[in-house]
Amino acid sequence: MTMLSRVADRLFWLARYLERAEDSARLVHAYTHLVMDIPKGSEPGWDILVRILDAEPHYEEHHRVYSEANVIKFLLADQDNVSSILRSIRAARENVRTTRDVLPSEIWECVNELYLYAQEHAEKCIGRRNRYQFLETVIARCQMINGMVISTLPRGHSYRFIKLGQLLERADMTTRVIDVGAAALLGDERLRSTVDPLIWASLLNSLSAMGAYRREIGPHVEAGAMVDFVLRQSSLPRSVKFCLDGIREELLPLKNNKETLRLVNKARRELSLFDSQVCTREELHIFIDQFQHMLTRIYSSIDRTWFMTDQRLMTAGTEQAAP
Amino acid sequence: MNNSWKSYDAGLFFDEVIAGSGQPRVASRRVVKLLQSLSDEDMASRRAAAELAIREMGISFTIYSEGRNIDRAWPFDIIPRVIPARDWARVSLGLAQRSRALNCFIDDIYNRQTILAAGIVPAEFVLDSGNYNAQCAGVSPRYGAWAHICGTDLVRDKNGRFYVLEDNLRVPSGVSYMLENREITKRVLPELFENYSIQPVDDYPSQLHSTLASLSPRMLRRPCIVVLTPGIYNSAYFEHAFLAQRMGAELVEGSDLFTGDDDCVYMRTVDGPVRVDVVYRRIDDNFLDPEVFREDSTLGVPGIMRAWKAGNVAIANAPGAGVADDKVVYAFVPQMIRYYLNEKPLLASVKTYLCVNKKDREYVLANLDKLVVKPANESGGYGLMVGPHATKAKRAEFARLIEQNPRNYIAQPTLALSTAPTYIDDTVAPRHLDLRPFILQGKETWVTPGGLTRVALTKGSLVVNSSQGGGSKDTWIVENNP
Repeated sequence: MTMLSRVADRLFWLARYLERAEDSARLVHAYTHLVMDIPKGSEPGWDILVRILDAEPHYEEHHRVYSEANVIKFLLADQDNVSSILRSIRAARENVRTTRDVLPSEIWECVNELYLYAQEHAEKCIGRRNRYQFLETVIARCQMINGMVISTLPRGHSYRFIKLGQLLERADMTTRVIDVGAAALLGDERLRSTVDPLIWASLLNSLSAMGAYRREIGPHVEAGAMVDFVLRQSSLPRSVKFCLDGIREELLPLKNNKETLRLVNKARRELSLFDSQVCTREELHIFIDQFQHMLTRIYSSIDRTWFMTDQRLMTAGTEQAAP
Repeated sequence: MNNSWKSYDAGLFFDEVIAGSGQPRVASRRVVKLLQSLSDEDMASRRAAAELAIREMGISFTIYSEGRNIDRAWPFDIIPRVIPARDWARVSLGLAQRSRALNCFIDDIYNRQTILAAGIVPAEFVLDSGNYNAQCAGVSPRYGAWAHICGTDLVRDKNGRFYVLEDNLRVPSGVSYMLENREITKRVLPELFENYSIQPVDDYPSQLHSTLASLSPRMLRRPCIVVLTPGIYNSAYFEHAFLAQRMGAELVEGSDLFTGDDDCVYMRTVDGPVRVDVVYRRIDDNFLDPEVFREDSTLGVPGIMRAWKAGNVAIANAPGAGVADDKVVYAFVPQMIRYYLNEKPLLASVKTYLCVNKKDREYVLANLDKLVVKPANESGGYGLMVGPHATKAKRAEFARLIEQNPRNYIAQPTLALSTAPTYIDDTVAPRHLDLRPFILQGKETWVTPGGLTRVALTKGSLVVNSSQGGGSKDTWIVENNP
């Protein structure tokens, strides 16, 4: 059974938006936690979160200062911010609304409930105390939906495009998490020994990877090792390496996958060549920037090949696929 | 025991459940007995269960209001409407006969036009009508079938006799609600199914699938069938998705399809273009192909008319089928049945006066207070006057309109529509009904057992449309009298 390009497109974005909501929630959660651990006066600003999501121009249209309340409202509840958690959840719901016929009905119900929850609570959860509750609920519900996908969705095109959307978004968000670390500490040499481990540990926590790190590497969190771990540990589900391997695996059974596979393999190669243990923070930041660019190119290639292809061109003189 | 049944009185109307004596009709006896035996609390809990089922099953229709779309839960009355199988058998035959004659007529009009040459239907009534589509001339769809899915509206008069009110031959909707209504009744009043032998309705999607598959231009074991929807904002989107899912067909929007240089229609899929054999379209003719009809349509598929004329894709219903969906043409259906089938019409039509004929016009103008006057080319109840309810000024206005443009008006006697008991705020009260069965026409003709019953929830009202506060009932064709 084949799948309409439009439906594949919507499933892909359903998964991307859900992943974005979950990962943003993880990021804000970890950052809020981190800020409380750092001695007064040396804590990094809230602007980092906005910068990491490449949302400064939009933020600055509406706010002048990067205060905690403004930034949190912008990231959680802003209806105009395309990457706010509320907007991501709403976009996920719109995508599932028009693809209900290819998904188990529980998934629609669950996404719909998540939307209703977020709509009611996002605005009220700017303060730190309710914020935790809200973020944890969003994370838990996203994970529940993921669980449903894993345990009820037949392994066909639906599953494949959901997986692709999720893994691509996750790879992107994981690189952003690393960038938070790099940006937070760039140019600040004073407190490196005391503050550094705190920051890296909280970022590991945001990826649910602290336990795995301790077992694999040890209890002391150190920048180079941590970055290497979340970039290249192939057994870690939120590592960039894991995501790229997963994307490759989902691409293999698809038709016309040559161009996209080539890009994914290139990204995997560059990842394996990058040595985080010897690079400077500046170099790390540049690498991440370039790598995010690469992910964008992979997305464009997926979009071109399977979603918006002008298939009129493809019919000219070629053998037609049988239904 | 609840008491509201005791005071139930349908007055002068034909009530389908309770006879003039106040006793239930034979076929409805067990339904009434069960409902009367339930306490008010039990009844309330069953109605609540029905509402819950509707929400859970996601049965909704969309209305556009105040600039936004609202998904409304489907309004449902839990008292089923019961029709004995032997009454229905005749109606069903009449519907099939009518569908065959209408399809012969459409095929004739776009090809040899013998019925016009024979003078049975005046040519100007057909060819000058806005519903005649010159683009379709010379096309011969398979089996001579144009209106593959027909929704015919029936009403019963004060004697309980069935009349055809109109034939919807373009994109009739409502069939999914017929199926869902049965699902709800099974959940809410399961006891009744033990004592009755009720003709099942859930066969419809597979019958529809067979009809559509029989139209495929390619001889394939599994032809590619798609349901073409205008999208999620259409009021019937729920039904489009429902039917696609039940048939295992793709639900597509116009932008999912394109016409290739080989004049075949393709859908865009992740595996590349896939050729489409049959398009069950749920968009109007005007929006179907921007190359031919409305250029500004973004809902349609450019080039699909080309592909259809070349015989590379089947479209159901065929473009142009609306030529028989006209109130002037309606008046000639009995003649068509005699002309094409050489049979006597089995179903009554409502007496129709064509204002274009001098004699009819004089009668209409003299009896405006008794008649319903309708414009010939409008649908959906627009520009209509119900004589007995109209003001004197309104009648004078219509007299003027008729004199100015007699071709555009027809008139019919005002019918006393039948009623059935309906729950209105915890009591049972008579409300007017109609019935829309669906007739499929492909290689074979097939009629739904029963159809969608719509009920006007406002006292005395004849308006049954769900967008205007109408409700619906499950409709039972029962095999034998229990």
